[in-house]
Amino acid sequence: MGVTVLQPYPLPEGKSGAHIIDQLSKRLLALGATHAGQFLVDCETFISTPQPHNGAPGRAVHVLHNSECPASTFSIIDNGTGKQVAIVADNIFDLLMLKMTNTFTSKKQTKIESRGARFEYGDFVIKLGSVTMMEHFKGILIEIEYKSCVILAYCWEMIREVLQGFLGIAVGKDFPSYFAPQTIMTAMGQQQLHAKHNDIFEPMDTVKQYLEQFTNYRKHVALMGGMGSGPGGQQVGPNVHMSPSVAGLHRP
Amino acid sequence: MSNSVNISVETTCENQIREIGYDGTELYQPPPTLSESLAKCAARIDFSKTSLDDLKKEEKTAAAATDEDKDATQFQESLWPWDAVRNKLKDALTEICVLSDVISIAKDKRYLVLDPLLEEADDTKPIVQVYSRKKAISQAAQVLLSGAERLRNAHSEQRNRNVSDFHIELLRLRQNWRLKKVSNAIIGDLSYRTAGSKFGMSGTFEVTKAEETGDEDTASSSNSSSSTSGNNGMQLKASSALRVIVPAELQGVAYIKVITQKDQEDLCTAQVNLMGHGPNITAQVGVWQKTLEFAQNVLFCKELFAQLAREAIQLQAPIPHVVIGNQIRATLLPNIQLIISLCHSTTFDSSQPAPINDHDHVLEHSLHQLLREVHYKNSHHPFPHPASAPLGPTKKRMLAGPMAADRETLLDMTKSQTILEQIIAQAQHIFMRKRTQYVLDTLARDVKDPQIVSHWNAMNSPTMSCVKINIVTHGYDAIGRTSLVIHVKERSLKGICRDGRVMRLSYEPQELRDLILCQINSHQISCLITLARYMAWTVLSNSNHLGVGKVEPLGNASSCLLASPNSDRMIAVQIRCDPQIDVKVYIARSPRQDFFPSPLVPEKLWENLGGTFKEVRFDKIEGKSFLNKMEFLMASLTSNSA
Repeated sequence: MGVTVLQPYPLPEGKSGAHIIDQLSKRLLALGATHAGQFLVDCETFISTPQPHNGAPGRAVHVLHNSECPASTFSIIDNGTGKQVAIVADNIFDLLMLKMTNTFTSKKQTKIESRGARFEYGDFVIKLGSVTMMEHFKGILIEIEYKSCVILAYCWEMIREVLQGFLGIAVGKDFPSYFAPQTIMTAMGQQQLHAKHNDIFEPMDTVKQYLEQFTNYRKHVALMGGMGSGPGGQQVGPNVHMSPSVAGLHRP
Repeated sequence: MSNSVNISVETTCENQIREIGYDGTELYQPPPTLSESLAKCAARIDFSKTSLDDLKKEEKTAAAATDEDKDATQFQESLWPWDAVRNKLKDALTEICVLSDVISIAKDKRYLVLDPLLEEADDTKPIVQVYSRKKAISQAAQVLLSGAERLRNAHSEQRNRNVSDFHIELLRLRQNWRLKKVSNAIIGDLSYRTAGSKFGMSGTFEVTKAEETGDEDTASSSNSSSSTSGNNGMQLKASSALRVIVPAELQGVAYIKVITQKDQEDLCTAQVNLMGHGPNITAQVGVWQKTLEFAQNVLFCKELFAQLAREAIQLQAPIPHVVIGNQIRATLLPNIQLIISLCHSTTFDSSQPAPINDHDHVLEHSLHQLLREVHYKNSHHPFPHPASAPLGPTKKRMLAGPMAADRETLLDMTKSQTILEQIIAQAQHIFMRKRTQYVLDTLARDVKDPQIVSHWNAMNSPTMSCVKINIVTHGYDAIGRTSLVIHVKERSLKGICRDGRVMRLSYEPQELRDLILCQINSHQISCLITLARYMAWTVLSNSNHLGVGKVEPLGNASSCLLASPNSDRMIAVQIRCDPQIDVKVYIARSPRQDFFPSPLVPEKLWENLGGTFKEVRFDKIEGKSFLNKMEFLMASLTSNSA
C-alpha cells in the first residue's frame, strides 16, 4: 500500500464523461500501462435521527468501501463541527449499521460512488473513476498510487510528473489540500503546525481523501440543485443558467 | 449492771495442719482467703433453685433479722456492742441482695453469663494412659492387618490363576481403546475419526470371547473364562480370554516407504512405520493389543497414501506425477525422483526382513506429521472464536479487515500447500543441502592454500538452511577474511557476500564451485594488499577484473601492483582461476641494469624509469601459502639503501 493521491479532472465543455475516460484510457495504454481489472469506492451516509434543536447539524456517519481492501469497511463520524473519528473494520460492520436504524437513518439519495478501470503502470496504479450519485454522473476522479513509497514528501514530485504527463492538465506544485499543514494541539496544549505530507501513509488516508472529494461533489449538488431539488434530481434547464464556476459537473 | 455476763468470743483456730516439722513446729494451711471462700460458696450454689420466692423469703428472713436487731438495740442499750454486728449483718444483707440481683441478671443470659470454675484436676497416673492407648492402637492394628491379609490373599490368588478373566481383559482393552455395546456385541473403533480424520474407511473391530483352541498343550486350553488352567506355565505365548476381529482390509502390517532415486540408484530412503512407538504394553495385555495397533497403523498408512495419490493426480506439475498401483513417482530435480510406496503384507511373518536401516527418519516423520497436521486443522478452529462472525478463518485473516489488508495480501493468505507438495519441497531441500555440503567439502579438501571453513546453522527449517563460509589463510587470519552466506533453498541457492552482492544460483553444483573459486581469487588479492601495507610496501594499483591477456574460462583475473618502501623494486601479481588458482608474479627493479644511452634517449637519468618485469618461479619460493611466499618475497626485496 503506497502513497495515493486523488486528482479531480475538470470536464471540458461539451464532452461527455465516458468520452474523456475513453481518451485517458487510450493514452495510458499507449504509454505501456496494463489494464488490471475494475475498482469501486462507494460511500453511504447515515444522519442521526433525532435532530438536535439548537440548529447544529446532526452527526453523520460515513461508511465507505474500497475494492483495494476487500476485507475492510471504513467508517468516519463527523460531528458537524469539523471533528472526525475514523475506524477500519471488518465487513460485518455493515450489518451492524443495519441494526442502528433507530439512531441513524440512511440518506439513500446521497449514496455516491467512484467506479472504473484500473491500470498498472510499473510501480504506479492508476484508476480512472467516474463519480456517480444515484445514477447521475457527477465527474471524473483520477486516483494514482505509487506502491514503492509510503511518505508523500519523498515522491510528490514524481507523482505530479506522471499525472501531468498523461492528463495533460497542470497540477499545482503544492501538496493536495488533504496534505496541507494543519494546526493541531500537542499533548502539552500548544498549537503546532503539523505537516501531513511527512507522515506515513495509511489506507485510511486514501479513504479520507475520497470522502473529502465526495463531500465536494455533494455540496455542488446542493448548490446546483437549489431549493427543493428532488432525490438526486438535477434538471437540465436550471443548470445551464447557473454558476459557470461549477462547470465540469454537468450531466452528460 | 452487775449481772452482765462477760462473753468472750474467739474464733476457733481450725486451720489444718499441713506439716509438722522435725522440731515440732506446726505449719498451718493458711485460712481460705475471701475469694477462695466465696468461690467455694459459689460452687455450692444450686442454680436449679432460682425461684424468686425463695430469694424473697431469704430477704424477708434477713430483713426480719435486722428488724429484730434494731428492736433489740432500742430496748437494750447494753447491746450497743452488737451494733457492729448489726451493721455487719446489714452489709451482709446488702451484699446478698446484690448477689441475688446479679444472679437473676446472669440467669437471663442477656447481659451476664456465668461460666463454671475449673477446679484442679486430680493427678492421673501417666502409666494408665499409656496402657489404654496401647490397647486402642493394637486394636486398630488388628483391623488393618486383617484387611491387608485379605488383600494379599486375593492378589496372590489372582496371580496364581493363569487363566485371565474375560472381564479383566475387557477392562484393559477399554482403557486403551474406545468400545461400545451394540445389542449383544461389543464394537470398538480404531480409526482416527475423533482426532480429526475424514477418511472413509471404517475402523471398527469386534470383541468376542475367545473359544477353546485345539492346541497341542492339552490341558492348557486356557481361553475359557470360567476354567482355571492347570498348565503350570507350559504355555509359551500369552493368550487372553478375548479375541478381537479386525476387518479384512486392515489385517496385516503396512508401512510407507519413501525412496529418492537418481537414475535407478537409491540415494536415501525413509519409512513410515508406527510400530515400536509408544510404551510396550504387550507384556501386560494380550495379543489383541498388537493386533489392534497393527490394524490402526494399516489404516493410517492407507489414509496417508490415499491422500498423496489424490493430490498427485490433482496437482499440475511441470513433469506430471505418476501413480501406479501402490506407488507414486514425483520428480524432484532432473534425473532425481521421489518414490512413495505403500507396502502392505498380510502374512504375519515373524521373520520379516528388517526395515532398511540407512534411511533418513526425517522424511518418514515429516509425512506422519503432515497428515496429523491435516487432522488437527480439521478439528480445531484457530482463535479467536467470535460469537457473531464465522468460525474457521485464521487469525491473520480475522485481522485482515481491521488492518485494511490489500488484495495481494489476501490472495497470499488463500494459498496453501498440499501434503505432496510439502514433502516434495522437503525432499528437494534435503537433496540440495547434501549436494552443497558435498561441493563445499570437496573444495575444502582440494584447495589447501586459503582454508575454506563452513559453518552450518544449527537451526533451520525443513525447506531452508544457511551456511556461512569463511575463507582464511592459515597464519594470516588477522590480515583478512572473506566471508559469505549461502541460503540453501529447495531448488536454488542464494549467495550473499560481505559487500552486499547477492547472487542467485541454480541447483547445478558447478555454479557454487565457480562462485567459491572466484571468492578465493579476490580473497588472495585483498589479503595481499593488506599484507603489503603491513610490510610498508605501497599498493600502486589493483584490479578485480583484469581485462588483459587471454580470456579466462572462469571469472576474471585479478591483479595487484606493489612498490617497495624506497621504490626500487616493483612486484606485479596476477591471479587467475582457470579452474585451478594460477598465480603469476613478476618483479622489476629500478634503476634498470640494462640501460645504455642511445641517440634517441641520451640522458642517464632515464635509467630510473624502471626495468622490465621478469617472472618469478613462484612455486619454487619457500613458503607454506601464497601470502607466506609473498611475505618472504617482499622481505627479500626490501633493501636498506636510502
